[in-house]
Amino acid sequence: MKEILSRWYAKDSVKKILSSLISILIGLCVGALLVLITGIFKSTISGKGIWEGIRIVFLGILSTGRDANGALSWGLNASNLGNMLFRATPLIMTGLSVGVAYKTGLFNIGAPGQYLMGTMTSLAIALSIPSEVVPAWLIWIIAVLGAALAGALWGAIPGIVKAFFNINEVIACIMTNWIAANVVTWFFDGSGFCNVQEYGKTGYIYPTRYNNVATVKLGLDKLFAGSQVNGGIIFAILIAIGMYILINKTTLGYQLKACGSNRNAAKYAGIKDRRNIILSMAISGALAGVGAALYWLSGNTEFVWSTYQALPAVGFNGIPVALLALNNPIGVIFTGIFMAMLNIVGQQLTNLTAYNEYISDVIIAIIVYMAAFSLVIRVWLEGKSKKKAIAEESKEVTKKEEE
Amino acid sequence: MENTSEYVIEMLHITKEFPGIKANDDITLQLKKGEIHALLGENGAGKSTLMSVLFGLYQPEKGVIKKDGVEVKINNPNDATALHIGMVHQHFKLIDVFTVLDNIILGAEDTKMGFLARKAARAKLEELSEKYGLAVDLDAKIEDITVGMQQRTEILKMLYRDNEILIFDEPTAVLTPQEISELMQIMKNLAKEGKSILFISHKLNEIMEVSNRVTILRKGRYVGTVDTASTNKQELSNMMVGRPVQLEVVKDVAKPTDVVLSIENMCVASHLHKKDAVHDVSMKVRRGEIVCIAGIDGNGQTEFIHGLTGLDKITSGKVELCGEDITHASVSKKGKNMSHIPEDRHKHGLILDFTLEDNMVLQRFREPQFARAGFIKFPEVRKYAQKLIDQYDVRSGQGPVTVARSMSGGNQQKAIIARELDREKDLVVAVQPTRGLDVGAIEYIHSQLIAQRDAGKAVLLVSLELDEVLSLSDRILVMYEGEIVGELDPKKTNAQELGLYMSGAKRNQEEGSNE
Repeated sequence: MKEILSRWYAKDSVKKILSSLISILIGLCVGALLVLITGIFKSTISGKGIWEGIRIVFLGILSTGRDANGALSWGLNASNLGNMLFRATPLIMTGLSVGVAYKTGLFNIGAPGQYLMGTMTSLAIALSIPSEVVPAWLIWIIAVLGAALAGALWGAIPGIVKAFFNINEVIACIMTNWIAANVVTWFFDGSGFCNVQEYGKTGYIYPTRYNNVATVKLGLDKLFAGSQVNGGIIFAILIAIGMYILINKTTLGYQLKACGSNRNAAKYAGIKDRRNIILSMAISGALAGVGAALYWLSGNTEFVWSTYQALPAVGFNGIPVALLALNNPIGVIFTGIFMAMLNIVGQQLTNLTAYNEYISDVIIAIIVYMAAFSLVIRVWLEGKSKKKAIAEESKEVTKKEEE
Repeated sequence: MENTSEYVIEMLHITKEFPGIKANDDITLQLKKGEIHALLGENGAGKSTLMSVLFGLYQPEKGVIKKDGVEVKINNPNDATALHIGMVHQHFKLIDVFTVLDNIILGAEDTKMGFLARKAARAKLEELSEKYGLAVDLDAKIEDITVGMQQRTEILKMLYRDNEILIFDEPTAVLTPQEISELMQIMKNLAKEGKSILFISHKLNEIMEVSNRVTILRKGRYVGTVDTASTNKQELSNMMVGRPVQLEVVKDVAKPTDVVLSIENMCVASHLHKKDAVHDVSMKVRRGEIVCIAGIDGNGQTEFIHGLTGLDKITSGKVELCGEDITHASVSKKGKNMSHIPEDRHKHGLILDFTLEDNMVLQRFREPQFARAGFIKFPEVRKYAQKLIDQYDVRSGQGPVTVARSMSGGNQQKAIIARELDREKDLVVAVQPTRGLDVGAIEYIHSQLIAQRDAGKAVLLVSLELDEVLSLSDRILVMYEGEIVGELDPKKTNAQELGLYMSGAKRNQEEGSNE
């Protein structure tokens, strides 16, 4: 048994997962601690309230509200789970966006901008092509592709600037983010997409259902009754798997990784480093753009178009999603869903206890911190087995020598 | 305390184990006062572990360390410093933006009312550098001075701390031939003044020249200690490798045939100054010969190779390879008929975070043998890597899936050589292919290059090692300040003459000056 465990532990992937789980656990514990401390210093929160808060922090996703006696009840909450998957969809996409760029040695902090360009393009296409003329499913596909293209173009800009002028992509990304925020505001400001039909909805763009465009549900709405979930999550997972294959199995992925790990060696081997930097940023941008499309084409999401003062958090949250998954596309599926879960937990805190959702923001912040730290945790985990590996190499050498 | 022992440092029966391996197995090393004691062994023989034990970085499982005949316990580097043991590491521990003076006093600063007492330090250092012939500019910043001067700074650092036992960890690996001979002189001066020196190296010439005694390690075990005066290079290398080693390069007379590479008036711009790094270089390399570009480091060899292989732009001139004009071709186009063993195996040669098998197909991953429809055929890559590993005897912990970073320098270089030679190109460009390697590996690489030549390939070698230049090449071109200043026949020249050309003191007669 111990043998199996140690062999299992020796696997690199196991250590990676373990290190991420540890950082998540630390984040949750600090969140619980925060609940405890706030509870102690706030006279309105009783000991029972604290205990309830802590339980929600850890298990909020399984909370079904309160029963007749006012005690917390637990079980599978279909609407919460469905909403979690719905919110996870764009997070997985922006996580992929950051992760894929990182494989090429680039830090794509431009996901919010690429996401906004995807938002603008997908909404504009979905609302402007009349569904009486073109079938709605075709409009949906065109809108997704348009968003991908817009995101790709927006991502390629920092890539080009980096490849040809060696300007740090982080700076270029931050600038393109704010340019995107202003372009989007300006575009919708003068457009006919602003929702004027529903009373009190000033500042919103029409949800795409007004043009009968909506992401297919694929039966998920029945599985998770009462939630916003749709087929987008399936698409996101498929794209993540596709990215995994692209990175690990194809010549393109090999080139991208080569450029990311050692640009000089890639150049030495005749790999076009500039092309790959631009390509990597374009792919990243496309992923973020599609993420936006999958969210806003759901049919019932309403975009607040005046974004020039704030960038979408889902873009930035792609960074912790990718970090926590150690930039592995498959891992991103899980960390994306996890981040969405924290979001739901925050809601549950607001709805069911005297605490509010901002605690979940703190938890996310701690986990982001710990995610950066997960590298340290991994080094620590590896430290134990590294000496073993050295020993094995020497053994191998000795064995060969004896032959 | 009266020194009753003949030895200043004794390491007796040291055994240091790492899980599954004895890095040091019953090793005894005795250092006499005022001697230069060389520690010889291949990469991975346990030299560094032994020195780390002496420096307090590792605790041995068995064995004792004695200083002046008294048993001591060295638990950390501070203990070692207190016992006046100092070390010059292979990679210097200096702060680039500090001056030489500040680097030396860092960590041992004398202060007066909280202010640095630089004046006293300066006086002491001037005296020391005078005494031992260590010329450094105390006010220069580290980033502005040569590697040789940085090393002298490290030596002064040890002397400033009144160290009596000086450890030099492969000190010549980074130096030019001139700097090496200066260092040898400095080491002799230090020994004459009563300092005891431990000199870690696998370069036999230096050991023969400078040391009094040699202790040889092999695979963690003690092989023996011999007086340098009563031994020779052949004996030492046999002890080190454990089998008779071919020190002299054995090769037949070259039979050069048709021209493979023809370079006319090539110029490459410098990244550092406005002048050309490579100026008006012309040469021809033919099948069946090894042409060597000799020169002191930094005379344009790197830029020349970068221009030739496409890593850098050629500003003017013409390069023809196998009859094709490749002057401005891309790296991959140039690579069609050229393989390139790069100067810096970490910067260019390997992707250290990739596995060995991924590194083996660095240029070839797109070829039909390894890819179909954009997907890499990993079983094929594995098979190919395994073939190269077996054929070229590349040793690594886990075979094809070993991460390149975890391999020893010698085996990393072997992997590059395997990859480049197996591509079977008409021109082999090898830049310092044996840098930092031990005798066994050097012997192997030399024989491989000669085999390439005999198989009808053209070999263009760039080397800084005079021995290598003289023994391996069929024709020598000397590069000085970006120009070819002489063409020599290795059979008709010697190290002295070569040195004159390399230092710019002499040029080919046609250039005007004469002998």
